[in-house]
Amino acid sequence: MLFAILSRLGRLVFVMFGISVIVFLIFFATPGADPAARIAGRNASPQTLEQVRQSFGLDQPLPVQYGLMMKRLFITQDLTSFVNRGQKVVPAVTKAIPVTLSLVLGAAVLWVFGGLVVGVAAAAMRGSVADKALMAISLVGVSMPVFWVGEVMNLLSQSRLHHTFLFSWVPPLGYKPLLTDPVGWFKALLIPWVTLAILYIGLYGRILRADLIETMQEDFVRTARAKGLSEGRILLRHGVRSSLVAFVTMFGLDFGALIGGGALLTEVVFGLRGVGKMTYDALQTLDLPVILATVLYASFFVVAANALVDALYAVIDPRVRDAH
Amino acid sequence: MRPRVLAALLAGGAVLTAWGASPTLAQEKGGTLRLLARAAAGTIDPHINYTLQQWQIFYIAYDGLVTFRKAGDQTGFEVVADLAEALPTPENDGKTYRFKLRPGIKFSNGQDLTTDDVVASFQRIFKVSGPTAGTFYNGIVGADKCLAAPADCTLEGGVVADKAAGTVTINLSAPDGEFLQKLAVPHAYIVPAGTASSDQGTTPIPGTGAYAIQSYDPNAALKLARNPNFKEWSAEAQPEGMVDEISYDFGLTEEAAVTAIQNGDADWMFDAPPPDRLAEIGTQYAAQVSLHPLSAMWYAPMNTRLAPFDNAKARQAVNFAIDRNALVKLFGGANLAQPACQILPPGFPGYTPYCPYTAAPGTTWSAPDMEKAKALVAESGTAGQEVKIIAEDTVVSRAVGVYLQDVLTELGYKASVQPISQNLQFTYIQNTNNKVQISISQWFQDYPSPSNFLNVLFSCASFHPGSDASVNIAGFCDEAVEAKMKEAFAAGVSDAKAALPVWTEVDKMVTDAAPAAVLFTPKRVDFVSSRVQNFTFSPQFYAIFSKLAVQ
Repeated sequence: MLFAILSRLGRLVFVMFGISVIVFLIFFATPGADPAARIAGRNASPQTLEQVRQSFGLDQPLPVQYGLMMKRLFITQDLTSFVNRGQKVVPAVTKAIPVTLSLVLGAAVLWVFGGLVVGVAAAAMRGSVADKALMAISLVGVSMPVFWVGEVMNLLSQSRLHHTFLFSWVPPLGYKPLLTDPVGWFKALLIPWVTLAILYIGLYGRILRADLIETMQEDFVRTARAKGLSEGRILLRHGVRSSLVAFVTMFGLDFGALIGGGALLTEVVFGLRGVGKMTYDALQTLDLPVILATVLYASFFVVAANALVDALYAVIDPRVRDAH
Repeated sequence: MRPRVLAALLAGGAVLTAWGASPTLAQEKGGTLRLLARAAAGTIDPHINYTLQQWQIFYIAYDGLVTFRKAGDQTGFEVVADLAEALPTPENDGKTYRFKLRPGIKFSNGQDLTTDDVVASFQRIFKVSGPTAGTFYNGIVGADKCLAAPADCTLEGGVVADKAAGTVTINLSAPDGEFLQKLAVPHAYIVPAGTASSDQGTTPIPGTGAYAIQSYDPNAALKLARNPNFKEWSAEAQPEGMVDEISYDFGLTEEAAVTAIQNGDADWMFDAPPPDRLAEIGTQYAAQVSLHPLSAMWYAPMNTRLAPFDNAKARQAVNFAIDRNALVKLFGGANLAQPACQILPPGFPGYTPYCPYTAAPGTTWSAPDMEKAKALVAESGTAGQEVKIIAEDTVVSRAVGVYLQDVLTELGYKASVQPISQNLQFTYIQNTNNKVQISISQWFQDYPSPSNFLNVLFSCASFHPGSDASVNIAGFCDEAVEAKMKEAFAAGVSDAKAALPVWTEVDKMVTDAAPAAVLFTPKRVDFVSSRVQNFTFSPQFYAIFSKLAVQ
């Protein structure tokens, strides 16, 4: 067990190191990325440009710059943005985490529940009209880009139908802290939750249905039927449980990626200042310190989510446990 | 200057009608003005930031010895005395300016303003390596030493204070007819002497203006409140503000910002409204929209040091071939832009209508002359060469790029377009290492002087090979033009008006040499909520927040 944890940690450090080096090199290989000229402003004299470059430490060799940046990111935690100088990156990310967490957790509840209902219902009614309709709707959900759904939701709830009884409750775009204004928090996030969850409900529903149909042809299901268990009990107790392996795998990875800022388009469209939006803004302005911080933060969550998924397998599927 | 790029405007014939500037006199003071921008615009150190978005804030939070008059008409271009009692008359052949400080002015932290603060502020311009330290203020005596060793900057002999008399004397090494205008931009605003000599980033520096910055979080908001120590000393320099607080929120997309203003959740947005909403706000919300022509241009600089545009005939051919009306349509129609083919924008000092690149050459552009263009290309012998157009990845810039590709193809070149992120494109096209042949860019004035276009963009001194800061993108360096500019500068020392005809000539010379194809003059769209009264637009800094009132 201890060895497993240590190997995971080793992998995590390796992944984060690799990603940070790649981000670093891509940045410096991009022509025009040099922040000195963008900060110094147009028509800066060559002397001024040189001084600004020095003040950023951009005149030092790349490995030294990398080392200094990592030190300021992890040890002294006083790394500041290239674009909004004086903005400390670590506290900025820390401040953005609750927004992203609120968005992703709420959406996750919706999509896990929705995905289960859609998948199980479609599998139970396999071949019927209801099954086909559910699958068609899921396909539509999967196909709609999240930023488009978000903009349409905004168009209806903020603009076109904002003054009707349907959407008059919708607050202006933005985030309200859960602790100071729980009602506002819920109202502000309800539409973003639905928007983000639509894609995943469709995806998870379709995967679960396919898995369930496959599982219901397994030997242990035949055994259960022979024991005389009811079809519904078999589906829910035996079928769903062993079909959850793929479901949980996907959930772990998707959830990890979203917490790491993968919901950036949803955050941008709804004006939620979370980690995703920070990443988006930083990519727009090529703000290397912020990109590094958000990307490393994201990679940490993806690796952690992977580890968690592996641990959950053992809980869900007895066959995995026996293999150890 | 190049403010954070005014976002693209592209509307299939948006119906926008200019709003007659007849603001009802605002009745009441108080309330909160809620401003929006898509993103924060960097440091709030007035000596460093070089964006329109932040300059609009500095304009009401800080003062210089002089400032641009806060007025909603052309007089907003004029320099008036601010912290100084009066505009000085240049002495010593235009090399010495003597300012007497107004007594009794306090900073927002309660400190009295003294001559020490003025001297320290001028030193600080160099100590923090301000973006214009080497271009605007390098004429001050002692500036060369400060540029070489910023940390030990004293400007000895350059900025001399007499604390007892409350006067500050600035000595220049050579006369400069534009010096007062340079003192009126935020980079020369006065901050307390104790301010640290480094970019203060997100920490507000105390100022003397009507409002004081309370807090700044680039990921959330910038907040201002009335400066408790402010007493109006000059209504034209720094009028008392109407609202009690100003809250500037970052993060909403332009789409969302328009909707928020329509719903009354916000009062004004910095970014241009998105093209697909122009028709809607121009018709249903016409009373809340105002349009103003800008002292700016969209233009396509052509590299005079690379084939095919090292040949003047090829550059002139491009100028003749471009249908500027088509480009105006791409930008959103005649209400949002007007065709242009000379460097200086309409209404600008020194501007005399001139257009050699049109079907019937004269004063105004009427139609492209493709025949003439093709003849010029044939004469130049450059047909068949490959040309890459570098555009920005905004809707309009890309559309303009694709249009230019068509034009160049028709002229016989093998043309391609490469859009680059709008945050990188401007520095990318400046660097000669990137071998850019032709690109699409914009230029906005810093202060209303013809040199701000002609000298900055087309003088030999603005060309620095291999540097990201080489704003003479065309690499244009012409002896006759240089001599003429020198003449204009010399004429402007004693009398700025006398220099204008000379600048008009420079404008003609540069336009004829065609280092760039000027495309059109853009207009600014301001969309405000229904609670806003007294919207005032300065030609220099655009919306004047201290004049806006809310019901």
